[in-house]
Amino acid sequence: MADALYSALQAVLNGLLTGALYALIGMGMALIFGVMRIVNFAHGAFLMLGMYVTYVLFQTPGLNPYFGFLGAGLVLFLLGYGVYWALLKPIRGESDFKQILLTLGLGLILTDGIQLLFGADYHQINMPLLSKNVHLGTQISLNAPWLISFGIALVVGVGLYVLVMHTMLGRAARAIAQNRYAAPLMGINVHRVQALSFGLGVAAAGMAGGLLLPVFYLYPAVGDQFTLKSFVMVVLGGMGSIQGAAVAGLVLGVVESLTSLYWGNQWALAVDFAIFLLVLSLRPSGMFGSQRV
Amino acid sequence: MKRPHLLAAVFCFILCLLVAVVVHSDYTFQVLFRIFLFAALGLAWNLVGGYTGQLSLGHAAYFGAGAYGLALFNKAGLPIWISLFLAVLLAVLFAGLIGGVSFRLRGPYFALATIAFAEVLRLVAKNLTGITGGDVGVQVPPLFAHAFNRSFYLASVVLTAVAFGLTVWISRSRFGYYLMAIREDEDTALSVGVNAARCKLWALLISAALTALGGGLYGSLFLYIVPDQVISITISNEIAIVAMLGGAGTLVGPLVGSVILETASELFKNLFQEAHLLIYGVLLVVVVLFLPEGIVGTLAQRLRRRAVVAPVVKAEA
Repeated sequence: MADALYSALQAVLNGLLTGALYALIGMGMALIFGVMRIVNFAHGAFLMLGMYVTYVLFQTPGLNPYFGFLGAGLVLFLLGYGVYWALLKPIRGESDFKQILLTLGLGLILTDGIQLLFGADYHQINMPLLSKNVHLGTQISLNAPWLISFGIALVVGVGLYVLVMHTMLGRAARAIAQNRYAAPLMGINVHRVQALSFGLGVAAAGMAGGLLLPVFYLYPAVGDQFTLKSFVMVVLGGMGSIQGAAVAGLVLGVVESLTSLYWGNQWALAVDFAIFLLVLSLRPSGMFGSQRV
Repeated sequence: MKRPHLLAAVFCFILCLLVAVVVHSDYTFQVLFRIFLFAALGLAWNLVGGYTGQLSLGHAAYFGAGAYGLALFNKAGLPIWISLFLAVLLAVLFAGLIGGVSFRLRGPYFALATIAFAEVLRLVAKNLTGITGGDVGVQVPPLFAHAFNRSFYLASVVLTAVAFGLTVWISRSRFGYYLMAIREDEDTALSVGVNAARCKLWALLISAALTALGGGLYGSLFLYIVPDQVISITISNEIAIVAMLGGAGTLVGPLVGSVILETASELFKNLFQEAHLLIYGVLLVVVVLFLPEGIVGTLAQRLRRRAVVAPVVKAEA
């Protein structure tokens, strides 16, 4: 009995550690899709790119991934900023259809471009830290790299939240979401704000990728599963709600972890999507959202 | 479709059948099979994605239902052709489920729901190893034992012709005009009495049935299938890209799209091996930015502008 309880507790804690990274990915998507209504099907590909940037920084200058993820964030921010101006701005205000296809195409280009450069092989980095565990009592132990990434994700996530809710840039982005026509009349440079926000959202995915590098296998298609997952988080958290997406990320992490414990790892993703379909059909406004989808 | 157009279409169909007499290489047959198969799938997708304007990115669900249905019903002891029929019914059932849930959603949520549904099916097929064989895969019975590659090529031509004929018929019918009205403005269509929910569902059911036939053919040609191959997002994307590239909501768009995409991907396969999806991505971005109506749609627009006639309904292009 006690053992079962401990293993459940362990699973919940592990889920929260994973969930913090999910939350970061989801918050990026919440900014892009929830607030700006850009349907970004390349989110997972951006995350994958963040992993590769961190990987290259680790391999060549030997930069620790827990610093390297900042480099990934920077590269991805610039990329996102450029992608907005070059690709998304021309079709802004047109149908979702086009955004979906464009970002889908962009994702394929990034994934297969990386595959051309690095090959399809799996990579994994080696650090002495990876095998370290922190013990809580006799039964519970937490993996050190996950704990570190949890802490960093918390800081970055709070930073992102403050940026969106309490700075001029964030207010401007939300103002555009509320009324695309009134915002420019209030002196907001719509495209500049959206390009910056898109860059930030993509950077969040890239940083999450960097933090995932030490604990994940690296291969070109690694980001694919995160695209749909990030939509799941945005919808579950409620459209337009940054904090909702963060909570949804933690929930998803715990649900996956418990699913793995009781039904097996292979069902975790299926449960994610089943939850998604249930939320879409039963409560499309999500946990915290007030808007109907 | 005017009479000369109809004659031209029948002529093309006969020509395509006659190709089977001239060609002898198995490789050529397989490439041609792929072109016609995806032309048929693109036409099927076009009913939902093009004419009705509902972006489905989960057609792999029906494709996979066709392939797996054929394999599993046959494994259970049913005759091949009955298994194929039941597989199509299975796909239609899935379409009813997906449509019931996701047609209440609009815009990106519909697309997301279709992907999620297909992914759930893929994962279920992967994990229910007792029934589907999981990642090990399952054997699919050959639909044609005699002159294998040639028969499959002919079957793909016939399937394309059926899908084309259905599209012609639908695009000229009252039902087809309802679908286009829903695409242009769903609220207005509702306000003039179009039962949008029922029309969308019917379009999806027909589309799913055709897609399942395509999936059954595909699986049967390969003789062996695994979930990641036939229920993959890649299949869903490829089907949508074929139609979008040629021109969603046009009659011949999916045909043109399939010829271009499959030929290009065959060439790039030799150049880039596994990374040949790159060409899909590039084509998608180019189409969205520069050919928003697809190749056929954009051409038709140009011609129309030159002719300075009254606007023609898009379906006639």
